[in-house]
Amino acid sequence: MGSPIWVLLGTDPAHQTAIVSTDEILKCRNLRKTFGDLVAVDDVSFTITAGETYGLLGPNGAGKTTTISMIAGILARDGGDVSVCDRPHGTSSAWGKRRIGYVPQDLALYPDLSARENLRFFARLYALGRAEARTRIEEVLEVVGLTDRAKDPVKDYSGGMKRRLNIGVGLLHRPPLLILDEPTAGVDPQSRNAILESVAALTGEGVAVLYTTHYMEEAERLCDRIGIIDLGRIRAEGARRELVALVGELDRITLTADGTRPVPELEALPEVREVGVQEGRLDVMVADARSALPRVLAAATEAGLVVRAVEVHEPNLESVFLHLTGKALRD
Amino acid sequence: MIAIAWVNLVRLFRARANIFFVIVFPMVLIMVLGLSFGSGFVPKLGVAGGAGARAGELVAALERTGRMEVVRVGDDAEARELVERGRLAAALIVPEGYEGAMSGRSRVALPLLSRNEPSSLQLGAAVRSVVQQVAMPARAAAYAGDGSFDQRLARAQAVQVPGVTVSYATIGARAGSGSRTDDGFVAAASTQLLLFTFLTSLTGATALIETRRYGVSRRMYATPMPGGRILLGEAAGRVAVALAQGLIIMLGSALIFGVRWGDPLGAAALLLAFSLVGGGAGMLLGAAMRTEQQALSLGLLLGLGLGAIGGAMVPLDLLPATMRQVAHLTPHAWAMDGFAELLGRNGTIATILPQLGVLAGYAAALFALGTWRLRAALTR
Ligand SMILES: Nc1ncnc2c1ncn2[C@@H]1O[C@H](COP(=O)(O)OP(=O)(O)OP(=O)(O)O)[C@@H](O)[C@H]1O
Ligand SMILES: [Mg+2]
Repeated sequence: MGSPIWVLLGTDPAHQTAIVSTDEILKCRNLRKTFGDLVAVDDVSFTITAGETYGLLGPNGAGKTTTISMIAGILARDGGDVSVCDRPHGTSSAWGKRRIGYVPQDLALYPDLSARENLRFFARLYALGRAEARTRIEEVLEVVGLTDRAKDPVKDYSGGMKRRLNIGVGLLHRPPLLILDEPTAGVDPQSRNAILESVAALTGEGVAVLYTTHYMEEAERLCDRIGIIDLGRIRAEGARRELVALVGELDRITLTADGTRPVPELEALPEVREVGVQEGRLDVMVADARSALPRVLAAATEAGLVVRAVEVHEPNLESVFLHLTGKALRD
Repeated sequence: MIAIAWVNLVRLFRARANIFFVIVFPMVLIMVLGLSFGSGFVPKLGVAGGAGARAGELVAALERTGRMEVVRVGDDAEARELVERGRLAAALIVPEGYEGAMSGRSRVALPLLSRNEPSSLQLGAAVRSVVQQVAMPARAAAYAGDGSFDQRLARAQAVQVPGVTVSYATIGARAGSGSRTDDGFVAAASTQLLLFTFLTSLTGATALIETRRYGVSRRMYATPMPGGRILLGEAAGRVAVALAQGLIIMLGSALIFGVRWGDPLGAAALLLAFSLVGGGAGMLLGAAMRTEQQALSLGLLLGLGLGAIGGAMVPLDLLPATMRQVAHLTPHAWAMDGFAELLGRNGTIATILPQLGVLAGYAAALFALGTWRLRAALTR
């Protein structure tokens, strides 16, 4: 357990009782949900600490949204426990809900109201005081970059702007836990970047983030730890490198050279597991290409190879996923 | 909770089309209907006999009221027949002795034949007041002063006795300007109030479906607001929409057309009770339907259909007894009865308690069903 942190919930006196907590913000144990015969979520457990971004990576229908709905207190679970900031949490616990910022997968906004009106509405549902709501609304508008358009009805916004506002609603009450369900689905690259950057900024402030996606690149870029979920079960969990190591996938350094031939000097290196020789190229398999690359190159040059090009291939989560489930992340 | 109710109101008036359908359209309808109810109603009064100068004065006075069309008819047999056949609303028989009685001191009675209809009876009251208005100075002239009767009469008519004059004028004014415009507008406003309050409640139910489709209601459940309060907020939103529509018509018709809604407490209670019924119906419709199109078409059908059956389009008085019984299956008919009591018979909140009770029953049943259905729909 790490050192306790202080999470300040806004400036409203009612919320100003800073809560002392261990840095374990969210803890799920053996979550389970069935819809009729379908087991949508099966024995899902994970923990997120303050400042950490945890990614749930899985294909369509894996059970990401169902898991998140149970954590957000929208959906009753059939089994398991959730605790938020060390307190048991469920559909009727207002205490926990005040500490969760929930950003649903689909936009959840009134399109006929303006951004400011939408924010004001949810600020009242989160029971923010009038003065606090006013300052928070302006701050959030600033964060999501919609201050200039705050008066326009949401239906006139671009897809990316709607997405940003959707996230903004989840930030209003300064939650220590932010749950983002595929926040970048159908968003242009520019808005996507902005979203990823603001999430990174929030974790920098100590916010714990639960992030679902089926974009492997996003999970790799953003998440400290990743749970790979398929058919309602978490198949593997860990940092990217751990996951890759877990399934025994190796990095590949491909050397393009004149007159390829077996190079015993390369095979002698401790980092090198295997060398494949083909016409005009050598495939050197290593555990960690970045650290091994200088020595591999040095050894090749020493052996008299004239290296024309180097290509590093690190196995990504896509291949991990393929390895674990026997199918691709996206069909 | 208030936030949810409020957002429902804001969204109602955010749509331009709604501003037309909720504000402009009902007012225009009230104007059109109010004018047409009024203009169809200039009653004809037959006057039989009376060829002399005094009778001529009487006819002129009757015509001056502008409230009736005065038609000379041959004799009282013809007058009776025309009244019976409905050609005349009423007929006044001026007997042989009228001229002499007016200038002398003898008594005379003028028979008034009237149909047993509200408009004819009202006409009779107006005729009576005019006859008295003409007779009073004549009586005074017969008993006072010197000179010929005509001279005395002219003096008596010229006398300004404030009390007496005012009292005549009051009678004349009330009878004269009452029915032609106000009654038409009162009828139009009360029927349109019921029709539109219910219709807007039902068509407004689409908002409840939108809120679900937009995912906003799911998100509401992620906030610390308890589920019961969310349901209550949506229910309050439905009532607020109904009440807003009712108030617009009630206050709008009062301001624009001068419609008086009777006992304010009674009118407010009746409006509230009917808005609760409308809100409950809207809640049930919005919870039970899955798409806005379904809710809109069913809402229009029910809103117009129940309005028609319940007397919000055709006055219930014109319908046969069985239809009136059927009509009382709708909340509209009960509310119409309430308004008839308030507006027609100077009723108060106490005298419309039965109607308020029935409406409260409707509201309770609809809200119970609506809440039950909506809870299921929201947590699906
Ligand atoms: N309300 C429901 N009733 C019945 N089945 C459901 C319900 N909600 C989800 N499911 C099923 O549960 C499974 C998991 O769905 P879920 O929405 O959690 O997947 P997901 O990982 O979020 O997928 P996506 O990437 O498409 O959003 C799916 O097979 C889905 O069809
Ligand atoms: Mg999902």
